[in-house]
Amino acid sequence: MSKDYAVIGKNVPKIDGREKATGAAKYAGDLKFPNMLFGKILTSPHAHAKILSIDTSEAEKLPGVKAVITHKDVPALKYGISPARWDENIFCIDKVRFVGDKVAAVACIDEETCYKALKLIKVEYEVLPAVLDALHAMDEGAPQVHDEYPRNINTEIHQNFGDLDKAMAEAHYIRKDYFVGQRTYQSPIEPHSAVSIWKDNKLTIYSSTQSPHYFQYYIAREFGLKMGDVRIIKPFVGGGFGGKLEPTGLEFAGSVLSKLTGRPVRTFYDRHEMFAHNRGRHKVYMELTTGVDKEGKILGVHANFVSDGGAYTSLGVATSYYAGGLLTLTYEFENYKFDMIRVYTNLPACGAQRGHGAPQPKYAFESHLDNIAKDLGIDPLEIRLRNARQPNTVTINDFGINSCELTACLEKAADISGWREKKGNLPKGRGIGIATGSFVSGAGYPIYRNDLPQSAAMIKVHEDGTAATLYTGAVDIGQGSDTALCQMAAEAMGYRYENMKIIAADTETTPHDFGAYSSRQTLMSGSACKQAGEEIKKQILDIASTIMSLPPDDLDCRLGIIFSKSRPTAKTITFEEAARRFFVLRGPLLGRGVYHVPRLGGTFKGAAVATSPAYSFCAQISEVQIDEETGEVDVCEVWDVHDCGQVINPMQLHGQVHGALYMGVGEAIWEEVLFDDQGKILNPNLGGYMLPTALDMPIVHSELVESYEPAGPWGVKEVGEGATNPTMGCFNNAIYDAMGVRIDSLPLTYEKVWRAMKEKREGKKEV
Amino acid sequence: MYLPDFDYYAPDSLAETCEALERFGAKAKVLSGGTDIIAKMKSGLLSPGVLISLKKLEDLKKIDYVSGKGVVIGALSTHNDLVNSKILNDKYLSVSEAAHNMASNQIRNIGTVGGNLCNAVPSADLPPILIALGATIKLVGTKGERVMLLEDLFTGPMKTVIAENEILTEIVIPDQLSTGSNYIKFGLRRSGALAVVGIAVAVTVNGGTITEAKIAIGAAAPTPIRAREAEKFLQGKTISDDLLAEAGVIASGESKPISDIRGSAEYRRDLIRVLTRRALHKAINEGHV
Ligand SMILES: Cc1cc2nc3c(=O)[nH]c(=O)nc-3n(C[C@H](O)[C@H](O)[C@H](O)COP(=O)(O)OP(=O)(O)OC[C@H]3O[C@@H](n4cnc5c(N)ncnc54)[C@H](O)[C@@H]3O)c2cc1C
Repeated sequence: MSKDYAVIGKNVPKIDGREKATGAAKYAGDLKFPNMLFGKILTSPHAHAKILSIDTSEAEKLPGVKAVITHKDVPALKYGISPARWDENIFCIDKVRFVGDKVAAVACIDEETCYKALKLIKVEYEVLPAVLDALHAMDEGAPQVHDEYPRNINTEIHQNFGDLDKAMAEAHYIRKDYFVGQRTYQSPIEPHSAVSIWKDNKLTIYSSTQSPHYFQYYIAREFGLKMGDVRIIKPFVGGGFGGKLEPTGLEFAGSVLSKLTGRPVRTFYDRHEMFAHNRGRHKVYMELTTGVDKEGKILGVHANFVSDGGAYTSLGVATSYYAGGLLTLTYEFENYKFDMIRVYTNLPACGAQRGHGAPQPKYAFESHLDNIAKDLGIDPLEIRLRNARQPNTVTINDFGINSCELTACLEKAADISGWREKKGNLPKGRGIGIATGSFVSGAGYPIYRNDLPQSAAMIKVHEDGTAATLYTGAVDIGQGSDTALCQMAAEAMGYRYENMKIIAADTETTPHDFGAYSSRQTLMSGSACKQAGEEIKKQILDIASTIMSLPPDDLDCRLGIIFSKSRPTAKTITFEEAARRFFVLRGPLLGRGVYHVPRLGGTFKGAAVATSPAYSFCAQISEVQIDEETGEVDVCEVWDVHDCGQVINPMQLHGQVHGALYMGVGEAIWEEVLFDDQGKILNPNLGGYMLPTALDMPIVHSELVESYEPAGPWGVKEVGEGATNPTMGCFNNAIYDAMGVRIDSLPLTYEKVWRAMKEKREGKKEV
Repeated sequence: MYLPDFDYYAPDSLAETCEALERFGAKAKVLSGGTDIIAKMKSGLLSPGVLISLKKLEDLKKIDYVSGKGVVIGALSTHNDLVNSKILNDKYLSVSEAAHNMASNQIRNIGTVGGNLCNAVPSADLPPILIALGATIKLVGTKGERVMLLEDLFTGPMKTVIAENEILTEIVIPDQLSTGSNYIKFGLRRSGALAVVGIAVAVTVNGGTITEAKIAIGAAAPTPIRAREAEKFLQGKTISDDLLAEAGVIASGESKPISDIRGSAEYRRDLIRVLTRRALHKAINEGHV
């Protein structure tokens, strides 16, 4: 493979960097339209209650109030992002299911009037007993969150691969461990906002979304509109991390309010409402049993999980399948049983958060594997090397792995961190831990069943050749896809990045793409952009061949210069000249690209989830310093080595690793959404919800290994979510190394470390 | 989250401020930096009909040294004023450091000492160190002024002895016999975290002996408290590691912390044990840091 690329692999400046840094960039909440109204949603103060009556008359009388709506004014059709479980209504009809459930909405001339109007809506509730503990949700006689789902079971999975009983019977050693995760929230810096404009028969929504396509599909479905009459436009978005993948009450309520008033309506969540809307990480209760041979080679694994889904499904069906499905990636084993139940509770609904479903099971499995290594007297690095997945293999649950440099990642991480010198030689209180991760480079199947391509792209070269515009449905939510895709298009065209323009994520002007989730865009949208670029190049070389009187096969174009491959001294012409000529003679110079995923995966129930054309791999090592008296955890340093195929933009790639680590570190040590005994969030703000600050971040070393992925354009694959996967387990293992205590629930708070050390001292608990 | 309606006044003088407070009575609240009260109003915990801003009271924004009196800190000094005050840096770096470890830079730029004291939450960072240094406060009202020890200000969580028509105008750190002081805040992250516990000590060391010790603890009881038993225990004793450790045990026994989202009572008590020892150690060995 030639690595002599002109545009990809380079640190070009972010295409929107200047606009964002200067504050010029407009997010959904910044948009203003003539006559625009402000909308807010009234939410439930109870975790579980019957709605007896709603009286909106006082609110309607308040000057400045233009519309007040309840379930009577909106379609009763249930929606959701998981088609298997549509279970949400725009507004609750008979009962509310969590503190924050949607009850009514207002549209007013300003924000202040909205808050006043909400206070005037009188809702009479009959409070019902609530399910707040996932482990008791299935109990006989527990309150029912949804009548349609007996014993509050939302999703139930039982998968069995190979012969686990036989593997366990043959195992030299079997160990069972139990771990508990925690509820975390994505906490994007930009609150959700939407401006809805329903005019004549057309609905236009500007929204802080990760996927205009799914918004368009679900909003059209809810209102019985043709998809072509629903236009979703993504302005700048300040982070999503999985929490902005599905339409919210903002879009649905805002649309109806706009239709009723005939005016644009801007709806928005404040920080508290974001926490209540949630769709963050599920809390998973995880039992793992693993059998190994004498050398620590894994023979079989049983993963038995229960997760707290909250009041609605959101993406939770997929999350549940991912939780166990992805566990087979980093280590090779042939016998696997995965049981999982996702239950409904009267808490905010959980969904997809960076690393979708994988990080908590990974925390459990990496801690569990270290326990096994210790029991057998094997070095944690060594046990991972012995089990590490190899390239061109197929997992027991039918995921085809092409490139895989996990062994190289482990070796490099060990080298750059000084693992072999440090392990066992650090002073007490200081510890080093290791863990691995892997993630899909795009989900193999869309969220609702359809046969659309994953991505399509279009390039239009400006008439005089001095610019080219990439039209893509791909969604830049801060991760930098606009930049990377322009680099890829320019590379394929033989053009310059600096002359690229982009129009993205607008369902009316850009071609279809499923959006920013499952780390799919560099590979999938990138494939479509590459193809579109190649189509441009082909046409440009064709016209150049007539101008230069050379055969098109002998020509190439690089950074906007068209030259003869065989005659280095032959006179060159510019891309601009050729493009201009093309337009004069043949009309618009357009390129098109489309990307379909080949059929992937097995045939068992749930086989589609976690399939992907390619998987990234990574190894992480972290070093911590523990205050032996207070339990304070200082996350000193992290070494992340990624196998992510060809890199398009190194700076953005390392930015993704830092960002993923930031979230992973937060979830490891600090973050947890807490509730009181009535289901109210105790810390729905950035003062109480402990996101790490800049001062808390470890020193991060982000490194790569050589890798080429045949399924990806130029050999690319995932990076954005994979680095969140190992982090929590990695820190738990480092804490264990430092103090000899194993923390079996997330987050690994100072107090938990303190308590575990105390119990160890007092001889209460042996690990 | 929206501010309820209220009337707003910003009187030009101290006297007018007190008169206004008297006039509006229970429905009025003083507004200083607003970092506490505005947040409470937004979340619906408080809805005063009238806010009386102190922002025009320029005299209350100074930090001076007045000989024979001590360091005089105007109630409107911001946390960053404490951080950057040369007088405090020279004399009581421990106070500047306590301010520096609070909140975030944005909050430190507008939050005031007066607000931190009058707000009277048990976890506030400035009371312990100021109490340990024996600070006094001045309250001015329509009926005159009174001076008292800061530690007598607090009567319960968010409760003080301040009358409806009074405001706190200044804090005085008297000239010290003490040779060292120190505040250790234990927060759950390095910035923007409230204290799980906060321990301040001031010690007077003569040769190898502690002649006097003051220990003030935040987030250990409904108000900031003095660990008087531990102080008594230390008085006149020769410094040793065991001695300081024992003082920590005693102080811990004197505390009455609660369990909340930041930590259990049991954890807090043990932190008090450990951090009292560390704070004493530091104050003895490093002076006012
Ligand atoms: C994000 C964030 C982080 C924070 N972190 C910390 C922290 O780490 N440590 C900490 O201790 N605090 C912290 N706080 C709380 C707050 O910032 C401080 O307590 C601050 O000092 C309050 O001062 P203020 O001037 O803003 O008070 P205000 O909000 O103006 O007033 C607070 C109360 O005191 C009364 N009051 C104010 N001044 C006077 C006066 N002169 N006389 C009589 N009554 C008066 C007011 O009526 C009100 O009841 C934090 C707050 C926020 C929002």
